[in-house]
Amino acid sequence: MSERLMMKNWNSLKRARAGLMLLGLVALAPALATPNAQDILAASDAVRNPARPFGLTTHLVEYRNGKETANMSLAIYAKAEASGGQFRNLVRFVAPVRDANKLMLKTGNDLWFYDPSSKASIRMSPQQRLLGQAANGDVVTVNLSLDYQAKLAAEEDIQDGDRKQRHCYKLALAASSPDVTYHRIELWIDTSSNQPVKGKYYSESDRLLKTAYYRKVEKQLGADRPTETVIIDGLDPNWVTVMRYADWVWRDVPDAWLQRDYLPRFKAE
Amino acid sequence: MRMGLRHPLVCMALVVCTLACATAQGQTNARQAPDAEDAALQLADQASSTKEQARDWHFSVEGATGETEQRYGLGRQQDQRLSLDLQIDTPVGAGWRAVLSDQLDQRWQGQFNDARATNTLKEAYLSWQPDPTRAMDVGRINARYGVAAGYNPTDYFRSGANRSITAIDPSSLKKNRQGSVMLRGQTLWSSGSLTAMASPHLADPPTDASFDIDLGATNRQDRWLVALSQQLSDTINPQWLLYGEGSQAPQLGFNLTGLLGQATVAYVEWSGGRSASQLAQALQGLDDTAFRSRLATGLTYTTEQKLSLTLEYDFNGAAPTQDAWAALGRNAPLAYAQYRKWVQDRFDLPTQQSVFLYLGWQDAMVNQLDVNAMLRHNLDDRSQLAWLEARYHWSHTDLALQWQRNSGGPGTEFGALQQERVVQVLLRYFY
Repeated sequence: MSERLMMKNWNSLKRARAGLMLLGLVALAPALATPNAQDILAASDAVRNPARPFGLTTHLVEYRNGKETANMSLAIYAKAEASGGQFRNLVRFVAPVRDANKLMLKTGNDLWFYDPSSKASIRMSPQQRLLGQAANGDVVTVNLSLDYQAKLAAEEDIQDGDRKQRHCYKLALAASSPDVTYHRIELWIDTSSNQPVKGKYYSESDRLLKTAYYRKVEKQLGADRPTETVIIDGLDPNWVTVMRYADWVWRDVPDAWLQRDYLPRFKAE
Repeated sequence: MRMGLRHPLVCMALVVCTLACATAQGQTNARQAPDAEDAALQLADQASSTKEQARDWHFSVEGATGETEQRYGLGRQQDQRLSLDLQIDTPVGAGWRAVLSDQLDQRWQGQFNDARATNTLKEAYLSWQPDPTRAMDVGRINARYGVAAGYNPTDYFRSGANRSITAIDPSSLKKNRQGSVMLRGQTLWSSGSLTAMASPHLADPPTDASFDIDLGATNRQDRWLVALSQQLSDTINPQWLLYGEGSQAPQLGFNLTGLLGQATVAYVEWSGGRSASQLAQALQGLDDTAFRSRLATGLTYTTEQKLSLTLEYDFNGAAPTQDAWAALGRNAPLAYAQYRKWVQDRFDLPTQQSVFLYLGWQDAMVNQLDVNAMLRHNLDDRSQLAWLEARYHWSHTDLALQWQRNSGGPGTEFGALQQERVVQVLLRYFY
């Protein structure tokens, strides 16, 4: 083989290698640019939920056919479990006055309701609702990434709850635990900030139960977080619940208080 | 047999039919308008943002008027009632809090000058919590235990607790009762707690004097109780109790609840120990002490339409057998009356077996309307109590219509009651 031919072959090989590398980079580019779906979900959880134990007030207003039909205030104390990281929530009813000081304790599917006037602690099933349209799981703090397996379904532009266009990851969440309120969820998460923008929640029979818009982002406890959720019923879109979050504060609750036997003693700070 | 609207079965059937209609209607509404979400967001933009503050006190006033059909030729009776209910739970220094709960019931029967007041001091105690895991309370305390809905064998301090009964549904009975004077201590850890209480003999006998604190009803003998709870897994949290009163052998108690899927809660509540039979205790007869059990076990199932149905089986091993109960009613009217009074005071089952059925439907067809129904069926004498309630909520007001019927043969648990049928309207305002 002549030197000239060898040089020609060598140059061809170099070109082929460069082409292959370019091809590889092109193929890898989306993978490098798009984080793992589960990581996106975890990052979105971190936007909704502060990293340390905290408290807030949730104000719920419910509408039917454009008319306000119910009004409720809840004080919520949330603390992530040392093992597992899922939140334990203690919910105290502030209003309406007939329900004031009633308590709900939720750790996963372990759900207790306490009525101070009857001194009765009652075990509840996840399907039992105390809050009108909102499921018990809607008002408490939950890390979705611990209960759902996420897949990236698409990247798309959608209108958010404040009527602005947002570029979002669309995640398809499948329940990985039987202890969850919803069987599957479609969740849109802002690609630049990891803020949750919109969610569609489905039952086990794949019926749309509700659509939720996460909006009114404000700086709270060190991060930009949605401070309002608008829930639209899946069957009746004229049934709307607005949940507003206020009075965010770092507040640690002793582990010993987050159990049934402490409910009769619980006194808000 | 004629079955009018007053018959409980007809009323139950109506409730079930309306439920079915509502479900069907919900399915036809499944279509959403394309711009429905925009409309919902516009509505949310206008949502009010009133801020409610938690309070240390709660006060409500309830007025009730009703009519009772009575047995034994006593005819109809008109009843009116006005009740004032006050609850205070407030801090009184670092680690201390004071709790007061009191209800005053003023009743009229027939005429305005035929009035009678009954004040129930439900709770009055001081609580001291030096650190998050230890607490001590002293005073009149409503110590309530049990996980069952219709009958609570481990609710040991229920004896003598119901001084003024305004309604017979379990929720009302639990709310309108007086505690016992006691010293109570509790220690907690992250997965459980240990509670001990001692309630001394202070007075005897009970009194129905209007403003008496009635220690003779709640503190007529020395009593003590120890309760231990320990979480065994994420969803299993049993409770064991040991209870003693007077010279009776200690009674062991057990409470356990469990989830069966997303919609069903199962529960079991048991109490057992050596004791004399209820008949022997009531009639002060021969000592027939033996090991006797009491049990309540059931399921609560909740539908997606916010309808909860509880079915519970109740058993009292200290009560007379079916034959003994029938013979008592037939052959010994004085002993029968004495026994029934004793059982009523203990708030226990007069016979061995019964079934409890409870239906609670929130936002039943109409938003803010709750429909509740209850059926107690005595399996030994086939008598039954049926109760229906429709309750509508406004922001500060509840309006309720209640209907009750006691049915059964002569001498049966419910057939022998003087009240045969009760209808009452209740209006409660929460301040």
